[in-house]
Amino acid sequence: MRGVGSAVPGIGSDAAIRMYHVSKSYMAGTTALSDVSLELAKGEMVFLTGPSGAGKTTLLKLLFGAERPDEGQIVVLGRNIARLGESAIPPLRRRIGVVFQDFKLLSSRTVAENVALALHVTACSPQKARARVFAILKQLGLQHRRDHYPLALSGGEQQRVALARALVNEPEILLADEPTGNLDPDLTVDIMDLIAGTALRGTSVVVATHELELVKRYRKRTLRIEGGKLIEDVRPLGNAR
Amino acid sequence: MRNSIWLRGFYQVLYFVRSAFRGMWASRLTSGVAVLTIGVVLVLVGAFLLLVYNMEELIDEFGNELQITAYLDADVSSDAQRDLAARVAALPGVDEVNQVSPEQALERFRSSVGSGVRLLEGLDENPLPASLEISLSPEQRSAGGLAAVSVSIEGLEGIADIRSGREWVEGYLRAISLVRTIGLGLGVILALATLLIVANTIRLGIISRSDELEILSLVGASRGFIRAPFLLEGVLQGGAGGAIALAILFALFELALPGLESGLEMIVGSAPRFFSTSESIMVVGGGAALGLIGSAGALAAGFRS
Repeated sequence: MRGVGSAVPGIGSDAAIRMYHVSKSYMAGTTALSDVSLELAKGEMVFLTGPSGAGKTTLLKLLFGAERPDEGQIVVLGRNIARLGESAIPPLRRRIGVVFQDFKLLSSRTVAENVALALHVTACSPQKARARVFAILKQLGLQHRRDHYPLALSGGEQQRVALARALVNEPEILLADEPTGNLDPDLTVDIMDLIAGTALRGTSVVVATHELELVKRYRKRTLRIEGGKLIEDVRPLGNAR
Repeated sequence: MRNSIWLRGFYQVLYFVRSAFRGMWASRLTSGVAVLTIGVVLVLVGAFLLLVYNMEELIDEFGNELQITAYLDADVSSDAQRDLAARVAALPGVDEVNQVSPEQALERFRSSVGSGVRLLEGLDENPLPASLEISLSPEQRSAGGLAAVSVSIEGLEGIADIRSGREWVEGYLRAISLVRTIGLGLGVILALATLLIVANTIRLGIISRSDELEILSLVGASRGFIRAPFLLEGVLQGGAGGAIALAILFALFELALPGLESGLEMIVGSAPRFFSTSESIMVVGGGAALGLIGSAGALAAGFRS
């Protein structure tokens, strides 16, 4: 079998993510993904769309090593996920930011402490962590909320905290699973602008969403998944990234 | 570069310590109960240890007093007595031999019985035999030593009878062995109970902090990074339990000391002793080790599930 580390036809060398004939099934016999191949360049932003249960979340989980493929190869930032040992997954995750629909914030920690969690893992000094947390909170307009607890914040603010945590380590890839699913339309645009901004700064971004309005508004490459199969890969004219 | 690795290690340890204390504070009731239970368990085990130590000290003290008295046949002449004393002194394990004539023995008896001396008035002749008082060399001051030297003396011509504290020493050593066995058995059972308590506390901590562990895993925390604060929690709980046990034991020892001191000093001339500094460290360290093993078990089971 040809290794994905070697040249795969049609796949560029500056790709942040490469999936090659990837399939994934769960124990109940349901096929979550079937023969999916795709490539995402460095700094590129894509929307992953499809109905609930189409396989969007499974695809994201495969990309940050929460799941392993049954078949095929996945190369993320030059590392083949299918072949990585358990101990090699955490260092890879430190290069990937992940945002979820339900924010996944710790209610007993302040905003600053929630964001700093990602820095503790890298053994960052307390002084440096404070400076970086402040910088990212300022960038996301949350510096005045740093000592508040998540439950005292609005949904949009909570998602911005989750985004700050995902971005504080300056990841090369940002994965967002329905990041605006719990937000009203104004806050949705607010959050999506911030996510799109990270792509402009060179981070590859994958946003899983079922909100077609968003896809139309941002005019980015869109991958449509249904029943675990990639059925559409649309690149908007005149906007490759 | 090396400096940077040390600093990073230091920052991680700092995080683990803060995280462990935060975890214990978050579940302060269960952690507190665990610490107190470990404390009580170690008080019981520590009390047995103290008892065994002091009983062993006592045998050492008695050992210095241990001697064999060999009574001589009545027909052994003075020259033969001197000769016999020299032969006994040359035996291995014998430190010193003191010859006691019948007259000296009678004199000692007179002075020891006090007013009962009238009992001796009707005697025509001295009924007490000459004897040899044999002290053992330090390495033979034990039940085994007494037995070995006694057997060597018994075979000598002119020896009528032998008296030693051998039976008493053997009984005492059996008592020490019994206390030690009970303490060890109790220690093993209670250590297992301690392990279960710590493991359960840590398991509850893992469950209550599952959100935090999930997030840590998402942001790239290694398995060791996630586990370290829990292991540290176990060590801190065990160590704190050990320290509490030590404090309770010391307080009890100080309370009981006046009574024990007067009793023991009268018998053997020495006061009971508490744990030395290194033994005290071992009690606290033992608690910490139990905590570490308990939390490691909980982590192995908790992360599997």
